[in-house]
Amino acid sequence: MSVLAVRRPRRISAAETGLRYGPVLLAAVVFALPLFWVLVTSLKKQSEYNSSPVVIIPPEPQWVNYQLAITLADFWRFAGNSLVLSASYALIVVFVSALVGYGFARHRGPGRNQLFILVLALLIVPTFVQFVPQFVLFARLGLTNTYWPWILWALGGSPFAIFLFRQFFATFPRELDDAAEVDGAGPLRIFLQIYLPNAGPALAATGIFMFLWPWGDYLYPSLLLHQENTTLAVRMASAYSDPHGNPWQTVTMAGVVLYVLPLIVLFAFAQRFIIRGIVTTGIKG
Amino acid sequence: MAEATHFLPRAWPRSAAWRRRGFRRGLTFYLLISPWLLGFVLLGALPLAGAFLMSLTNYDGLNLDYIRFVGADNYVRAFGDTEAQHALGRTLLLMSVVVPIALIVQLGLALLVNQPIRGSNLFRTIFYLPSVIPVVAGAWVWKIFVDPTGGLLNALIGTVAPDANVRWLVEYPTVVLALFTIWGAAGGGMVIFLAGLQGIPAEYREAAMIDGASRFQVNRYITLPLLTPVIFFNLVMGLIGGLQILVQPMLLTPGVLAMNPGVIPPLDNYLYVVHAYTEIFVKQLFGYGAALLWILFAVVLGLTLLLFKTSRRWVFYGVEP
Repeated sequence: MSVLAVRRPRRISAAETGLRYGPVLLAAVVFALPLFWVLVTSLKKQSEYNSSPVVIIPPEPQWVNYQLAITLADFWRFAGNSLVLSASYALIVVFVSALVGYGFARHRGPGRNQLFILVLALLIVPTFVQFVPQFVLFARLGLTNTYWPWILWALGGSPFAIFLFRQFFATFPRELDDAAEVDGAGPLRIFLQIYLPNAGPALAATGIFMFLWPWGDYLYPSLLLHQENTTLAVRMASAYSDPHGNPWQTVTMAGVVLYVLPLIVLFAFAQRFIIRGIVTTGIKG
Repeated sequence: MAEATHFLPRAWPRSAAWRRRGFRRGLTFYLLISPWLLGFVLLGALPLAGAFLMSLTNYDGLNLDYIRFVGADNYVRAFGDTEAQHALGRTLLLMSVVVPIALIVQLGLALLVNQPIRGSNLFRTIFYLPSVIPVVAGAWVWKIFVDPTGGLLNALIGTVAPDANVRWLVEYPTVVLALFTIWGAAGGGMVIFLAGLQGIPAEYREAAMIDGASRFQVNRYITLPLLTPVIFFNLVMGLIGGLQILVQPMLLTPGVLAMNPGVIPPLDNYLYVVHAYTEIFVKQLFGYGAALLWILFAVVLGLTLLLFKTSRRWVFYGVEP
C-alpha cells in the first residue's frame, strides 16, 4: 500500500508534513461539515434552530429529540419494514448473483462472452425506462403494496454483483473443481461447498452494497408501497412536522441520524473489507 | 445409481460422446446463469420492449381495453415539447459541470488518502461516508445546511458578508443540487481510483523519482496516463447516473417534504427525468412518458458510444499491471 513510506525510512520535514496533511485535513473538514451540522442540529431546541444569530453548539443538548424522533414517526415499525425488505433483498440477490457469477467464471457454453457483455451493457439502460412497464405489470398482477417486486428483482441478480463475483471466482484455483469432480460433486455442490464458503470478503462487500440499496432507495417504495408498509426512507422524508405542515428540523435531524447510523456503523467495520474487495475483484481483469 | 454408470461400457462413438459432453457442459452453464437470464428477459428486455410499444400508444394507465396506436406521434410531440427541451438542457448543463468536478474531486481525494499518512483509514471513511448516506437523508443534510434560518452555510458567509442572506434553495437551487451530487459521488469514485492507484506497480513511480522527477511530474506523466482507464470508467458511470437524476431535485424543492404527485422542483432544477416522471405519474401520460424515456435511453446510448469512440485517443491500455 504505502510503498514509498516503507522504503524510505527518513525524517520528514515540517513543511512536508504540512503539505501532506494540510489538504487532506481541509478536505475532511469540508466533507464532514454538513454531517457535523446534522449532529448539532439534532441536539438543539427548535427555538435555538430558529434563532438568529445561529447557535453553533447547543448549551443544553436536547437528547429528548431522539426520543421524539422514535415515538412520533413510529420509528421501529418502519425500521422493521426496511430491515425485512433490505435483508431479504440482499440475501437473495447476493446468493443468485454469486451463483450466476460462478457460472460465468467456471462454466462454458455457447455465447458465454456475449452474454457477459450483455450483463454489463445493461448497466447503461436507464432504470426508469424499464420500471414504467414493470410498474404497469406489477399493478395488474396485484403486486403493488407488497414486497414482491423487490423479491423478483433480487431473483434476477444484480449486474454489478454478478460482475464482482465473476471476477472474484475467476481467481480461484481450478484444481479445487477437479478434485471435487473426481469425488463426484456436481456443479451446484461445488458452488455451495467450495466457492461460496471461500467467498467471505466478496459476500460481505456485495451484501452490504445490496442491503444499502433498498434501505436507502426512496423512489420505488414511494411508488410501489402505501403508507402502512412503506420503508423508513419514505417515512423519514415527512414524518416530523407541526400541524401546519412545517418541518420540525431538530427532531427530523435526530430521525435522520437514527436512520443513517446503522449504515455508518456497518461501513466503519467493513471499510477495509470493501476497499480490499474492490481492489482485488473490482476493475482489473 | 451413480456407481452403476461407472461399469457401463462406452456405447457411443467418441465424437458423439464429446458432443454430448459439450451439450451437458453448455446446459450446466445455462442452468447456472438461468436466474439472471430469466430476470434479464422478464424484467429487462421485455419491459424495455414494452416501454417502446407503450410509447407508440396513447396509454394512460387505465385505457388498456380501448388503447389506440398513435405511431410516432409521441416522439413528434416530444421534439416540440419546450418543457422537455428546457429539462434536457438543464440536465446536460448540470452534467457538464458536475461530472468533471466530481472526477477531479474523486481523483484528488484518492491521491490524498493514498499518501503514507496517519489515519488514512479514518480519512477514507470520512470521504466515503456521504456515498453511504441514503438520498432522503442526504437531501435533509443539504436542506438544513443551506437553510437561511438555522443553516451553517449562511452563518459562515455571514462572518464575511453579514448582510448576505441567501435563500439557496430558491435562488440557487442548481448550486445546491450540484454540491449535493458531487458530495455524494466523491467517495464511490475515490474508492475506484484508489483501487486503480494501488494497481500501478510502485516501481514505475520510483523509477521516475530516481530519474529526478518531481512529485507533480510523477503524477502527471506516470500516474495519470496509467489511470485513464479508471477515469474513463468513472466518467461513463457518472454521466449515465447523472442523466437519470430524479429524486434529489424533487426532495430539494423548497417547502416540500415528500415526493408527492404534483411536486415540481424550481425551474432550474427541472431535470429531464423529473419531466418524464411528472408526465407519467402525475399527468398519467404513460405513452408519452415512455417516449420521453426512450429518447433518454437513446441519448445515454449515443453519449456512451461517443465516449467509447473518443476513448481510443486518450485512454491508455498499454501496460498490463
